[in-house]
Amino acid sequence: MSGTLVGRVSATIATVVAATTLVACGGGSGAGDGKVKLSIGIFSDFGYDNLIKEYQAQHPGIEVEQRKVKMEQHHTQLATQLAGGRGAADIVAIEEGNVALFRQSKDKFVNLADYGAKELKSQWAAWKWNQGTTDDGNFVLGLGTDMGSLALCYRRDLFQAAGLPVERDAVGELWPTWQDFLATGDKFTAATPNVKFVDTAQNVYKAILDQTEEGYFAKADDSFIADSNAKVADAFKLAASLGEKKQTSALAPFSQDWNVALKQASFATTTCPAWALALIKAGAGDEAAGKWDVAAAPGGGGNWGGSFLAVPKQGKHPKEAYELAKWLTAPEQQKRIFKETGNLPSEPAAYKDAEVTSTVNDYFNKAPVGQIFGNSAENLKPTYRGTKDSKVTPVFNNALQRVETGKQSTSDAWDQAVREARDAAK
Amino acid sequence: MGWWDTKYTPYLAIAPFFVVFGIFGLYPLLYTAWVSLHDWQLIEGSQGFVGLANFRALFVDPNFWNALGNTVSLFVLSTVPQLVAALGLAALLDRGLRGRAVWRAGVLLPNVISVAAVALVFAQLFGRDFGIVNGVLGVFGVDPVDWRAETWASHLAISSMVVWRWTGYNALIYLAAMQSVPKDMYESALLDGASRWRVFWSITVPSIRPTILFTVIVSTIGGMQLFVEPQLFDPGGTATGTGGADRQFQTLVMYLYEKGFRLFDAGYSSAIAWVLFMLILLVALLNFTLTRRIASKG
Repeated sequence: MSGTLVGRVSATIATVVAATTLVACGGGSGAGDGKVKLSIGIFSDFGYDNLIKEYQAQHPGIEVEQRKVKMEQHHTQLATQLAGGRGAADIVAIEEGNVALFRQSKDKFVNLADYGAKELKSQWAAWKWNQGTTDDGNFVLGLGTDMGSLALCYRRDLFQAAGLPVERDAVGELWPTWQDFLATGDKFTAATPNVKFVDTAQNVYKAILDQTEEGYFAKADDSFIADSNAKVADAFKLAASLGEKKQTSALAPFSQDWNVALKQASFATTTCPAWALALIKAGAGDEAAGKWDVAAAPGGGGNWGGSFLAVPKQGKHPKEAYELAKWLTAPEQQKRIFKETGNLPSEPAAYKDAEVTSTVNDYFNKAPVGQIFGNSAENLKPTYRGTKDSKVTPVFNNALQRVETGKQSTSDAWDQAVREARDAAK
Repeated sequence: MGWWDTKYTPYLAIAPFFVVFGIFGLYPLLYTAWVSLHDWQLIEGSQGFVGLANFRALFVDPNFWNALGNTVSLFVLSTVPQLVAALGLAALLDRGLRGRAVWRAGVLLPNVISVAAVALVFAQLFGRDFGIVNGVLGVFGVDPVDWRAETWASHLAISSMVVWRWTGYNALIYLAAMQSVPKDMYESALLDGASRWRVFWSITVPSIRPTILFTVIVSTIGGMQLFVEPQLFDPGGTATGTGGADRQFQTLVMYLYEKGFRLFDAGYSSAIAWVLFMLILLVALLNFTLTRRIASKG
């Protein structure tokens, strides 16, 4: 009797231990049907749904699973998975603002050059290719997906109510520079004081910074220069002045409230990289179809966003993962993604293609988005992203928000931001 | 064999818990302590032993003290009303209501709804421009409140979320305890002419003293670890993780998250985790003594 009880108890312990080990080992096990299972970790809309179906049809031995989470969460998760040595998808997307940070941990990623990625170099705009590589181009961390050349979206009906021009060319001519943009804002606010001129100071600030060659960190040695780079200070002051004048809606960009404000038409303009069109359409809804339009951004071209597909070393099928990433980022596929989601190709062969340049966006009053963004891509000079860019950026965004909500003066907010940024960049 | 059996079997029987706790509780705790003594980057791992440097930095870090202040404020604002309301609710549920089971199950409903969904709904309620709360305030001529920008307003909004979620849960625990209070005590008190209020304070509350103690300690632990509600209330979300543009509602766990998972400083983050652990022990102990003393006076 006693023997069986002890036996039962130890059996229980054994079961518990076995169960916990099983849990620990769960996931990542090979497929039973002999298929190679690939997972791809992305955020927001990469437009891969149909492409993946097609790829699976062409490659019967491969099964692809998409894992979508929110952008910030995606990168945090990826960092933990790399640190823990397990759990990362076979292919992971890394956003432009974060790529410098992950370049530092290149030992956790497969060098795609080992599989011949260097031969693909000529496909991309040179700067896009360089962002995804390190070690003088010998280590290929990721293959470029889309890019985010800049435009300015505005609401036609609100501009009309304020007595401003409505047609996109005339609107673009209102603001060759950001100073002109501010002046337009003053006119707009004087005529229709109940509508905010622009969504948030943060987005204006980001757009101006994206038109400069250097931001928070020096191109030469990655050193912290936010406190001495006059361009950062000027961009901050210009954006903050919109907040001080209460011409912004003071909402966090792309948040739930931002969507509500879009729906309620409570702001008239927003800076819009190519990928933002889908967000505006989703937020403003069908009833605003034809009311939004796309004009040239003040200050010329700039790049905001765009991602890379990388292959973490911990995956079991690096070769198959590379093949899929290569296919997904090829010009032919980039063109199709543009048609589907509006994400702008990062490859000249794709964004100069007649199919792309002739594309109009019905929702945005038939704006010739292919031309607008394609042109902007041609003139684009990318900003240097420091390794710690993603750590410093939120500090300045918070500072602008403090100005917008009237909690701090521009100069106090700036001082605090620089102090905090210095800490974050340590 | 019989002697061996009675002496050791009970230990074996409770061992699974401690084995599991050892693996999933104690080991991470000790490992965190080890990490906190290093300059430890999240992805790259240890960059060298630094002793107590992380802790020394922590105690002069204004952001840490700010987060601690916010945590305590949110803890008091949510725990006190929550437990008082739960006690009252339980006393009401304890009466012979019609459709008793429905009411009792009903109070638990807020608790079974996913916290993410709750945060989403409350974020809308407390929207600045189009939120219902501001809409109602507007009817009474109150100016719209920027619930995320103001410190006190954000604390109130977040506490309301916590109170809403946990009051019913605690009420059910109190109710279960109240059911075991002998009914003849109530009867004799009422016969002696005691008011319901008096009966509640002199009989019900002292009788469920251990249960109150339990809920106070559990809420203390929960309150000190407050994370999801304020994190989801932050419109910047995990992008900033600072709990508002001025860190006005950043709790300790949010600060831990910011340092560890956004700034990748795992060593510093582990130091925060350990300080938090000690703080919880301390506050729980303090609550334990206080509650015991108050309850025994009744």
